Amino acid sequence: MSLSNLIKNWSNFRTRRPYEGQYDDSPYKWAMVIDLDSCIGCNACTVACYAENNLPVVGKERFGKGHAMHWIRIERYWGEGETLETEFPERGAQYLPMLCQQCEAAPCEPVCPVGATHHSPDGLNTQVYNRCVGSRYCSANCPYKVRYFNWWNYPERAWPNPLELQLNPDVTVRSKGVMEKCTFCMQRLRAGMDKAKTDGRILADGEVVTACAQACPTSAITFGNLADKNSKVAKMWKTQQVDLAKNVQEKTEDGIRGYRILEDLNTYPSIVYLERLRNMAS
Amino acid sequence: MNYCKKLFVWMFLIVIGTSLVSAEPFVQGGPIGSQTSDGYDALGPVVEQPIEFPHNTHAGRMQINCMYCHTYARRSNVSGIPRLDKCMGCHNLIEGVKDRPRIKKLFEYWANKQPIPWKKVHDLPDFVRFNHERHIQRFYFQEKRPVRETCGYCHGYIASMTTARRVKALSMGWCISCHEKDHLEKVGSTVTSHGPNDCWLCHK
Repeated sequence: MSLSNLIKNWSNFRTRRPYEGQYDDSPYKWAMVIDLDSCIGCNACTVACYAENNLPVVGKERFGKGHAMHWIRIERYWGEGETLETEFPERGAQYLPMLCQQCEAAPCEPVCPVGATHHSPDGLNTQVYNRCVGSRYCSANCPYKVRYFNWWNYPERAWPNPLELQLNPDVTVRSKGVMEKCTFCMQRLRAGMDKAKTDGRILADGEVVTACAQACPTSAITFGNLADKNSKVAKMWKTQQVDLAKNVQEKTEDGIRGYRILEDLNTYPSIVYLERLRNMAS
Repeated sequence: MNYCKKLFVWMFLIVIGTSLVSAEPFVQGGPIGSQTSDGYDALGPVVEQPIEFPHNTHAGRMQINCMYCHTYARRSNVSGIPRLDKCMGCHNLIEGVKDRPRIKKLFEYWANKQPIPWKKVHDLPDFVRFNHERHIQRFYFQEKRPVRETCGYCHGYIASMTTARRVKALSMGWCISCHEKDHLEKVGSTVTSHGPNDCWLCHK
Protein backbone atom coordinates (compact mmCIF):
# COMPACT_ATOMS: atom_id res chain seq x y z
CA MET A 1 0.00 0.00 0.00
CA SER A 2 1.63 3.10 -1.13
CA LEU A 3 1.25 6.37 0.69
CA SER A 4 -0.44 8.01 -2.30
CA ASN A 5 -3.02 5.22 -2.38
CA LEU A 6 -3.59 5.65 1.34
CA ILE A 7 -4.19 9.38 1.00
CA LYS A 8 -6.30 9.07 -2.14
CA ASN A 9 -8.61 6.40 -0.76
CA TRP A 10 -8.63 7.59 2.83
CA SER A 11 -12.42 7.50 3.06
CA ASN A 12 -12.46 3.82 2.07
CA PHE A 13 -10.17 2.93 4.92
CA ARG A 14 -12.20 4.97 7.36
CA THR A 15 -15.68 3.48 6.91
CA ARG A 16 -17.82 4.40 9.86
CA ARG A 17 -20.07 1.65 11.10
CA PRO A 18 -22.94 1.58 11.41
CA TYR A 19 -24.67 4.27 9.42
CA GLU A 20 -28.35 4.84 8.61
CA GLY A 21 -29.61 2.48 5.94
CA GLN A 22 -26.39 0.51 5.83
CA TYR A 23 -28.16 -2.79 5.26
CA ASP A 24 -31.06 -1.48 3.17
CA ASP A 25 -29.64 -2.88 -0.07
CA SER A 26 -27.67 -5.69 1.48
CA PRO A 27 -29.19 -9.18 1.27
CA TYR A 28 -28.09 -10.22 4.74
CA LYS A 29 -27.52 -8.77 8.17
CA TRP A 30 -27.58 -11.43 10.86
CA ALA A 31 -29.16 -10.50 14.17
CA MET A 32 -30.73 -12.06 17.21
CA VAL A 33 -33.39 -11.46 19.83
CA ILE A 34 -33.12 -13.17 23.21
CA ASP A 35 -36.18 -13.15 25.43
CA LEU A 36 -34.98 -13.23 29.04
CA ASP A 37 -38.53 -13.84 30.18
CA SER A 38 -38.52 -17.20 28.39
CA CYS A 39 -34.99 -18.18 29.36
CA ILE A 40 -35.03 -20.83 32.08
CA GLY A 41 -31.24 -21.09 32.37
CA CYS A 42 -31.16 -24.74 31.31
CA ASN A 43 -27.83 -24.43 29.44
CA ALA A 44 -29.12 -26.34 26.41
CA CYS A 45 -27.76 -23.57 24.16
CA THR A 46 -24.30 -23.96 25.68
CA VAL A 47 -24.33 -27.72 25.16
CA ALA A 48 -25.54 -27.32 21.58
CA CYS A 49 -22.75 -24.83 20.92
CA TYR A 50 -20.12 -27.21 22.32
CA ALA A 51 -21.35 -29.92 19.98
CA GLU A 52 -21.70 -27.74 16.91
CA ASN A 53 -18.52 -25.70 17.10
CA ASN A 54 -15.96 -28.25 18.35
CA LEU A 55 -15.47 -26.53 21.69
CA PRO A 56 -13.14 -28.38 24.03
CA VAL A 57 -14.25 -29.31 27.54
CA VAL A 58 -11.38 -28.00 29.63
CA GLY A 59 -12.08 -29.65 32.97
CA LYS A 60 -12.79 -28.33 36.44
CA GLU A 61 -9.32 -27.12 37.28
CA ARG A 62 -8.85 -25.05 34.13
CA PHE A 63 -12.39 -23.81 34.35
CA GLY A 64 -11.49 -22.37 37.72
CA LYS A 65 -8.58 -20.56 36.13
CA GLY A 66 -10.92 -18.98 33.61
CA HIS A 67 -9.81 -21.09 30.67
CA ALA A 68 -13.31 -22.27 29.76
CA MET A 69 -14.17 -22.06 26.08
CA HIS A 70 -17.96 -21.67 26.08
CA TRP A 71 -18.89 -19.36 23.23
CA ILE A 72 -22.29 -18.90 24.86
CA ARG A 73 -22.64 -18.91 28.62
CA ILE A 74 -25.52 -18.43 31.02
CA GLU A 75 -24.82 -15.58 33.40
CA ARG A 76 -26.70 -15.50 36.66
CA TYR A 77 -27.74 -12.33 38.44
CA TRP A 78 -29.50 -11.79 41.71
CA GLY A 79 -31.51 -8.71 42.42
CA GLU A 80 -30.23 -5.91 44.58
CA GLY A 81 -30.63 -6.47 48.29
CA GLU A 82 -31.39 -10.16 47.89
CA THR A 83 -29.50 -12.20 50.41
CA LEU A 84 -27.80 -15.44 49.41
CA GLU A 85 -27.77 -16.87 52.94
CA THR A 86 -31.12 -18.56 52.65
CA GLU A 87 -31.90 -22.24 52.55
CA PHE A 88 -31.81 -22.26 48.75
CA PRO A 89 -29.36 -19.54 47.79
CA GLU A 90 -29.55 -20.40 44.11
CA ARG A 91 -33.21 -19.55 44.00
CA GLY A 92 -34.42 -16.46 42.29
CA ALA A 93 -31.51 -15.92 39.93
CA GLN A 94 -32.07 -14.15 36.66
CA TYR A 95 -30.48 -15.75 33.66
CA LEU A 96 -28.81 -14.03 30.78
CA PRO A 97 -27.28 -15.96 27.87
CA MET A 98 -24.15 -14.07 26.92
CA LEU A 99 -22.53 -14.63 23.55
CA CYS A 100 -20.63 -12.49 21.08
CA GLN A 101 -22.83 -9.50 20.37
CA GLN A 102 -21.48 -9.15 16.81
CA CYS A 103 -21.11 -5.40 17.37
CA GLU A 104 -21.33 -3.15 14.36
CA ALA A 105 -18.63 -0.92 15.86
CA ALA A 106 -16.76 -3.72 17.56
CA PRO A 107 -14.11 -2.65 20.07
CA CYS A 108 -12.13 -5.83 19.34
CA GLU A 109 -11.59 -5.05 15.67
CA PRO A 110 -9.42 -1.91 15.59
CA VAL A 111 -7.01 -3.19 18.22
CA CYS A 112 -5.98 -6.39 16.47
CA PRO A 113 -2.34 -5.93 15.42
CA VAL A 114 -2.61 -8.37 12.51
CA GLY A 115 -6.16 -7.79 11.25
CA ALA A 116 -7.31 -11.26 12.28
CA THR A 117 -10.70 -9.93 13.29
CA HIS A 118 -12.71 -7.79 10.93
CA HIS A 119 -16.24 -7.09 9.80
CA SER A 120 -17.87 -9.23 7.16
CA PRO A 121 -20.30 -7.78 4.57
CA ASP A 122 -23.22 -9.55 6.29
CA GLY A 123 -22.54 -7.75 9.54
CA LEU A 124 -20.61 -10.36 11.47
CA ASN A 125 -17.51 -9.84 13.50
CA THR A 126 -15.17 -12.47 12.11
CA GLN A 127 -12.14 -14.19 13.55
CA VAL A 128 -9.58 -15.73 11.22
CA TYR A 129 -7.61 -18.29 13.19
CA ASN A 130 -4.75 -18.54 10.73
CA ARG A 131 -4.03 -14.88 11.09
CA CYS A 132 -4.31 -14.66 14.85
CA VAL A 133 -0.99 -14.37 16.67
CA GLY A 134 -2.50 -14.54 20.13
CA SER A 135 -1.87 -11.04 21.43
CA ARG A 136 -5.24 -11.25 23.29
CA TYR A 137 -5.72 -7.50 22.87
CA CYS A 138 -9.20 -8.10 21.41
CA SER A 139 -10.28 -10.00 24.49
CA ALA A 140 -8.98 -7.24 26.72
CA ASN A 141 -10.94 -4.69 24.74
CA CYS A 142 -14.20 -6.67 24.60
CA PRO A 143 -16.69 -5.21 27.07
CA TYR A 144 -18.77 -8.41 27.03
CA LYS A 145 -15.84 -10.76 27.66
CA VAL A 146 -16.96 -13.22 25.04
CA ARG A 147 -13.66 -13.97 23.37
CA TYR A 148 -11.84 -17.09 24.44
CA PHE A 149 -8.18 -17.90 24.19
CA ASN A 150 -6.70 -21.34 23.56
CA TRP A 151 -4.20 -21.60 26.39
CA TRP A 152 -3.49 -25.22 25.58
CA ASN A 153 -3.44 -27.45 22.58
CA TYR A 154 -6.79 -28.98 23.29
CA PRO A 155 -7.38 -31.39 20.39
CA GLU A 156 -5.52 -34.35 21.91
CA ARG A 157 -6.62 -33.56 25.47
CA ALA A 158 -10.29 -32.87 24.88
CA TRP A 159 -11.00 -35.51 22.26
CA PRO A 160 -8.86 -38.61 22.91
CA ASN A 161 -9.32 -41.34 20.33
CA PRO A 162 -12.00 -42.19 19.19
CA LEU A 163 -13.79 -39.03 20.41
CA GLU A 164 -12.32 -37.00 17.55
CA LEU A 165 -14.89 -38.68 15.34
CA GLN A 166 -17.61 -36.56 16.93
CA LEU A 167 -16.04 -33.32 15.66
CA ASN A 168 -17.94 -31.21 13.19
CA PRO A 169 -15.99 -31.31 9.91
CA ASP A 170 -17.35 -27.91 8.87
CA VAL A 171 -15.60 -26.15 11.74
CA THR A 172 -11.86 -25.85 12.29
CA VAL A 173 -10.41 -27.42 15.41
CA ARG A 174 -8.48 -24.51 16.82
CA SER A 175 -4.96 -24.96 18.07
CA LYS A 176 -2.95 -23.40 20.87
CA GLY A 177 -2.39 -19.67 20.88
CA VAL A 178 -5.39 -18.39 18.94
CA MET A 179 -8.44 -16.44 20.00
CA GLU A 180 -11.90 -17.71 19.19
CA LYS A 181 -15.49 -16.58 19.60
CA CYS A 182 -19.09 -17.12 18.57
CA THR A 183 -19.52 -17.08 14.79
CA PHE A 184 -23.34 -17.14 14.67
CA CYS A 185 -22.82 -20.67 13.28
CA MET A 186 -21.20 -19.39 10.12
CA GLN A 187 -20.85 -22.90 8.68
CA ARG A 188 -24.65 -23.31 8.72
CA LEU A 189 -25.23 -19.87 7.26
CA ARG A 190 -22.66 -20.40 4.54
CA ALA A 191 -24.19 -23.73 3.49
CA GLY A 192 -27.66 -22.16 3.40
CA MET A 193 -26.51 -19.07 1.52
CA ASP A 194 -24.74 -21.22 -1.08
CA LYS A 195 -27.87 -23.26 -1.65
CA ALA A 196 -30.01 -20.13 -1.90
CA LYS A 197 -27.59 -18.47 -4.32
CA THR A 198 -27.74 -21.42 -6.71
CA ASP A 199 -31.53 -21.13 -6.64
CA GLY A 200 -31.22 -17.38 -7.29
CA ARG A 201 -32.94 -16.24 -4.11
CA ILE A 202 -32.04 -15.14 -0.61
CA LEU A 203 -32.43 -17.30 2.46
CA ALA A 204 -35.99 -17.60 3.71
CA ASP A 205 -36.70 -16.62 7.31
CA GLY A 206 -36.00 -19.50 9.66
CA GLU A 207 -34.35 -21.63 6.97
CA VAL A 208 -31.08 -21.51 8.85
CA VAL A 209 -30.84 -21.04 12.60
CA THR A 210 -27.90 -21.15 14.95
CA ALA A 211 -27.30 -24.21 17.12
CA CYS A 212 -28.27 -22.33 20.29
CA ALA A 213 -31.55 -21.11 18.81
CA GLN A 214 -32.32 -24.60 17.55
CA ALA A 215 -31.67 -26.19 20.94
CA CYS A 216 -33.56 -23.67 23.06
CA PRO A 217 -36.53 -25.52 24.59
CA THR A 218 -38.51 -22.33 25.26
CA SER A 219 -37.65 -20.59 21.97
CA ALA A 220 -36.09 -17.74 23.88
CA ILE A 221 -33.55 -17.19 21.10
CA THR A 222 -34.75 -15.88 17.75
CA PHE A 223 -32.24 -15.69 14.96
CA GLY A 224 -32.68 -14.19 11.53
CA ASN A 225 -31.91 -11.71 8.82
CA LEU A 226 -32.35 -8.10 9.87
CA ALA A 227 -31.94 -6.82 6.31
CA ASP A 228 -35.12 -8.67 5.34
CA LYS A 229 -37.86 -6.40 6.66
CA ASN A 230 -40.38 -9.23 6.85
CA SER A 231 -38.28 -11.58 8.93
CA LYS A 232 -39.31 -12.37 12.48
CA VAL A 233 -36.19 -10.76 13.91
CA ALA A 234 -36.65 -7.53 11.95
CA LYS A 235 -40.23 -7.29 13.10
CA MET A 236 -39.23 -7.87 16.71
CA TRP A 237 -36.53 -5.20 16.51
CA LYS A 238 -39.12 -2.81 15.12
CA THR A 239 -41.71 -3.65 17.75
CA GLN A 240 -39.13 -3.19 20.45
CA GLN A 241 -38.14 0.13 18.85
CA VAL A 242 -34.47 -0.73 18.67
CA ASP A 243 -32.56 0.78 15.77
CA LEU A 244 -29.27 -0.84 14.78
CA ALA A 245 -27.63 2.45 13.85
CA LYS A 246 -28.57 4.37 17.01
CA ASN A 247 -26.83 4.25 20.36
CA VAL A 248 -29.69 5.92 22.22
CA GLN A 249 -33.08 4.41 21.47
CA GLU A 250 -36.18 6.55 21.52
CA LYS A 251 -39.01 4.59 23.03
CA THR A 252 -42.37 6.18 22.34
CA GLU A 253 -44.45 3.59 24.15
CA ASP A 254 -44.42 2.25 27.68
CA GLY A 255 -43.80 -1.38 28.53
CA ILE A 256 -41.28 -2.01 25.78
CA ARG A 257 -38.76 -4.56 26.98
CA GLY A 258 -36.12 -4.55 24.26
CA TYR A 259 -32.64 -3.27 25.03
CA ARG A 260 -29.10 -3.88 23.96
CA ILE A 261 -26.39 -4.55 26.52
CA LEU A 262 -23.86 -1.78 27.22
CA GLU A 263 -25.27 0.29 24.43
CA ASP A 264 -23.79 3.45 25.93
CA LEU A 265 -20.31 2.19 24.98
CA ASN A 266 -21.27 2.81 21.32
CA THR A 267 -20.65 -0.77 20.30
CA TYR A 268 -23.94 -1.11 18.38
CA PRO A 269 -24.54 -4.80 19.18
CA SER A 270 -26.60 -7.08 16.92
CA ILE A 271 -28.43 -8.78 19.77
CA VAL A 272 -31.52 -7.38 21.44
CA TYR A 273 -32.46 -8.69 24.86
CA LEU A 274 -36.03 -8.56 26.11
CA GLU A 275 -36.16 -7.64 29.77
CA ARG A 276 -37.52 -10.16 32.27
CA LEU A 277 -40.96 -9.55 33.75
CA ARG A 278 -41.94 -10.93 37.11
CA ASN A 279 -44.99 -10.53 39.30
CA MET A 280 -43.40 -9.82 42.61
CA ALA A 281 -46.11 -10.10 45.26
CA SER A 282 -43.91 -9.40 48.25
CA MET B 1 47.21 -0.39 -4.46
CA ASN B 2 44.05 1.16 -3.13
CA TYR B 3 42.33 0.42 -6.45
CA CYS B 4 43.35 -3.23 -6.27
CA LYS B 5 42.00 -3.51 -2.77
CA LYS B 6 38.62 -2.07 -3.82
CA LEU B 7 38.45 -4.39 -6.81
CA PHE B 8 39.18 -7.35 -4.60
CA VAL B 9 36.41 -6.41 -2.14
CA TRP B 10 33.90 -5.93 -4.95
CA MET B 11 34.71 -9.26 -6.53
CA PHE B 12 34.37 -10.93 -3.16
CA LEU B 13 30.93 -9.35 -2.67
CA ILE B 14 29.78 -10.37 -6.15
CA VAL B 15 30.78 -13.98 -5.57
CA ILE B 16 28.91 -14.04 -2.26
CA GLY B 17 25.90 -12.33 -3.83
CA THR B 18 25.53 -14.70 -6.73
CA SER B 19 25.84 -17.70 -4.48
CA LEU B 20 23.00 -16.33 -2.34
CA VAL B 21 20.76 -15.65 -5.33
CA SER B 22 21.33 -19.01 -6.94
CA ALA B 23 20.57 -20.85 -3.70
CA GLU B 24 17.46 -22.98 -4.18
CA PRO B 25 14.38 -21.64 -2.39
CA PHE B 26 13.04 -24.13 0.11
CA VAL B 27 10.49 -26.48 -1.40
CA GLN B 28 9.41 -29.82 -0.07
CA GLY B 29 10.43 -32.53 -2.49
CA GLY B 30 12.08 -32.28 -5.86
CA PRO B 31 10.89 -30.96 -9.22
CA ILE B 32 7.58 -32.03 -10.76
CA GLY B 33 7.53 -35.66 -11.83
CA SER B 34 10.62 -36.61 -9.84
CA GLN B 35 9.46 -38.12 -6.63
CA THR B 36 11.68 -37.97 -3.58
CA SER B 37 11.97 -40.57 -0.84
CA ASP B 38 9.34 -38.84 1.33
CA GLY B 39 6.74 -39.17 -1.44
CA TYR B 40 6.64 -35.47 -2.33
CA ASP B 41 7.47 -33.50 -5.41
CA ALA B 42 7.23 -29.74 -5.87
CA LEU B 43 3.42 -29.78 -6.04
CA GLY B 44 2.63 -31.96 -3.06
CA PRO B 45 2.34 -35.61 -2.23
CA VAL B 46 2.67 -38.11 -5.06
CA VAL B 47 -0.38 -40.30 -4.63
CA GLU B 48 -0.43 -43.88 -5.78
CA GLN B 49 -3.97 -45.03 -6.57
CA PRO B 50 -5.25 -48.61 -6.21
CA ILE B 51 -6.04 -48.66 -9.93
CA GLU B 52 -4.13 -46.51 -12.40
CA PHE B 53 -7.29 -44.85 -13.65
CA PRO B 54 -6.85 -43.53 -17.22
CA HIS B 55 -8.34 -40.03 -17.23
CA ASN B 56 -6.80 -39.62 -20.67
CA THR B 57 -9.06 -42.34 -22.05
CA HIS B 58 -12.26 -41.25 -20.32
CA ALA B 59 -12.02 -37.46 -20.41
CA GLY B 60 -9.59 -37.28 -23.32
CA ARG B 61 -10.37 -39.82 -26.03
CA MET B 62 -13.98 -40.58 -25.01
CA GLN B 63 -14.85 -36.94 -24.27
CA ILE B 64 -16.91 -37.82 -21.20
CA ASN B 65 -18.00 -34.79 -19.22
CA CYS B 66 -16.13 -34.53 -15.88
CA MET B 67 -19.45 -34.21 -14.06
CA TYR B 68 -20.74 -37.53 -15.39
CA CYS B 69 -18.60 -39.22 -12.76
CA HIS B 70 -17.79 -36.36 -10.37
CA THR B 71 -21.46 -35.68 -10.11
CA TYR B 72 -21.64 -33.58 -6.94
CA ALA B 73 -19.44 -30.78 -8.28
CA ARG B 74 -22.43 -28.79 -9.51
CA ARG B 75 -24.49 -29.03 -6.33
CA SER B 76 -22.17 -29.47 -3.38
CA ASN B 77 -18.94 -28.39 -1.71
CA VAL B 78 -17.12 -31.49 -2.88
CA SER B 79 -17.04 -32.96 -6.37
CA GLY B 80 -17.20 -36.52 -5.12
CA ILE B 81 -15.45 -39.72 -6.12
CA PRO B 82 -17.79 -41.93 -8.18
CA ARG B 83 -19.10 -45.10 -6.62
CA LEU B 84 -18.10 -48.48 -7.99
CA ASP B 85 -21.52 -49.00 -9.57
CA LYS B 86 -20.94 -45.90 -11.68
CA CYS B 87 -17.92 -47.64 -13.23
CA MET B 88 -19.79 -50.90 -13.60
CA GLY B 89 -22.78 -49.22 -15.21
CA CYS B 90 -20.70 -48.74 -18.35
CA HIS B 91 -18.02 -51.40 -18.04
CA ASN B 92 -20.51 -54.24 -17.65
CA LEU B 93 -21.53 -53.52 -21.23
CA ILE B 94 -18.12 -52.86 -22.78
CA GLU B 95 -17.03 -56.34 -23.79
CA GLY B 96 -13.96 -55.26 -25.73
CA VAL B 97 -11.84 -54.22 -22.76
CA LYS B 98 -12.85 -56.80 -20.17
CA ASP B 99 -9.58 -58.69 -20.50
CA ARG B 100 -7.41 -55.65 -19.67
CA PRO B 101 -5.57 -55.88 -16.32
CA ARG B 102 -7.06 -52.64 -14.94
CA ILE B 103 -10.61 -53.69 -15.79
CA LYS B 104 -9.99 -57.13 -14.32
CA LYS B 105 -9.01 -55.40 -11.08
CA LEU B 106 -12.21 -53.37 -11.25
CA PHE B 107 -14.34 -56.51 -11.64
CA GLU B 108 -12.45 -58.08 -8.74
CA TYR B 109 -13.52 -55.24 -6.45
CA TRP B 110 -17.08 -55.62 -7.76
CA ALA B 111 -17.10 -59.40 -7.13
CA ASN B 112 -15.73 -58.90 -3.60
CA LYS B 113 -18.30 -56.18 -2.93
CA GLN B 114 -15.47 -53.85 -1.92
CA PRO B 115 -15.28 -50.13 -2.67
CA ILE B 116 -12.12 -49.00 -4.42
CA PRO B 117 -9.98 -47.15 -1.85
CA TRP B 118 -9.21 -44.11 -4.00
CA LYS B 119 -6.90 -41.59 -2.38
CA LYS B 120 -7.41 -37.85 -2.26
CA VAL B 121 -5.13 -35.86 -4.54
CA HIS B 122 -6.44 -32.31 -4.20
CA ASP B 123 -6.52 -32.20 -0.44
CA LEU B 124 -7.01 -28.77 1.10
CA PRO B 125 -6.15 -27.98 4.73
CA ASP B 126 -8.94 -28.56 7.26
CA PHE B 127 -9.40 -24.86 7.94
CA VAL B 128 -10.37 -24.08 4.35
CA ARG B 129 -13.81 -24.28 2.83
CA PHE B 130 -13.78 -24.63 -0.94
CA ASN B 131 -17.08 -24.83 -2.75
CA HIS B 132 -17.17 -26.59 -6.13
CA GLU B 133 -20.81 -25.65 -6.66
CA ARG B 134 -20.19 -21.89 -6.74
CA HIS B 135 -17.40 -22.20 -9.31
CA ILE B 136 -19.22 -24.67 -11.56
CA GLN B 137 -22.48 -22.69 -11.41
CA ARG B 138 -20.66 -19.49 -12.31
CA PHE B 139 -18.29 -20.62 -15.03
CA TYR B 140 -19.98 -23.67 -16.51
CA PHE B 141 -23.70 -22.90 -16.27
CA GLN B 142 -23.73 -19.09 -16.22
CA GLU B 143 -20.83 -18.28 -18.53
CA LYS B 144 -21.12 -21.47 -20.61
CA ARG B 145 -17.41 -22.10 -20.63
CA PRO B 146 -16.28 -25.58 -21.71
CA VAL B 147 -16.12 -28.03 -18.85
CA ARG B 148 -12.45 -28.80 -19.45
CA GLU B 149 -11.60 -25.14 -19.09
CA THR B 150 -13.76 -24.67 -16.00
CA CYS B 151 -12.33 -27.64 -14.14
CA GLY B 152 -8.90 -27.04 -15.60
CA TYR B 153 -8.44 -23.71 -13.83
CA CYS B 154 -7.62 -25.62 -10.68
CA HIS B 155 -7.10 -29.21 -11.81
CA GLY B 156 -4.98 -28.68 -14.91
CA TYR B 157 -5.35 -30.59 -18.15
CA ILE B 158 -6.71 -33.79 -16.64
CA ALA B 159 -7.48 -35.23 -20.08
CA SER B 160 -3.76 -35.69 -20.59
CA MET B 161 -3.13 -37.56 -17.34
CA THR B 162 -3.80 -41.09 -16.22
CA THR B 163 -4.33 -40.72 -12.47
CA ALA B 164 -4.86 -37.11 -11.48
CA ARG B 165 -1.89 -35.08 -10.29
CA ARG B 166 -1.87 -31.76 -8.56
CA VAL B 167 -0.57 -29.25 -11.05
CA LYS B 168 -1.63 -26.03 -9.31
CA ALA B 169 -0.37 -24.69 -6.02
CA LEU B 170 -3.80 -24.60 -4.30
CA SER B 171 -2.42 -21.97 -1.94
CA MET B 172 -4.27 -18.91 -0.72
CA GLY B 173 -2.22 -16.51 -2.84
CA TRP B 174 -3.00 -18.60 -5.88
CA CYS B 175 -6.77 -18.51 -5.14
CA ILE B 176 -6.64 -14.76 -4.62
CA SER B 177 -4.73 -14.19 -7.87
CA CYS B 178 -7.85 -15.38 -9.72
CA HIS B 179 -10.38 -13.79 -7.37
CA GLU B 180 -8.80 -10.39 -7.99
CA LYS B 181 -9.26 -10.64 -11.75
CA ASP B 182 -12.35 -9.33 -13.49
CA HIS B 183 -14.43 -12.05 -15.09
CA LEU B 184 -17.35 -11.61 -17.48
CA GLU B 185 -20.66 -12.24 -15.76
CA LYS B 186 -22.50 -13.93 -18.64
CA VAL B 187 -21.92 -15.01 -22.20
CA GLY B 188 -21.77 -11.99 -24.49
CA SER B 189 -22.05 -9.58 -21.61
CA THR B 190 -19.54 -6.83 -20.99
CA VAL B 191 -20.30 -6.62 -17.29
CA THR B 192 -17.46 -7.95 -15.21
CA SER B 193 -17.08 -8.80 -11.59
CA HIS B 194 -14.40 -10.41 -9.51
CA GLY B 195 -14.52 -13.12 -6.89
CA PRO B 196 -15.41 -12.33 -3.28
CA ASN B 197 -12.53 -11.60 -0.92
CA ASP B 198 -14.10 -11.86 2.51
CA CYS B 199 -11.90 -13.99 4.83
CA TRP B 200 -14.79 -16.02 6.19
CA LEU B 201 -15.88 -17.16 2.78
CA CYS B 202 -13.04 -19.67 2.68
CA HIS B 203 -11.68 -19.76 6.22
CA LYS B 204 -13.87 -21.64 8.60
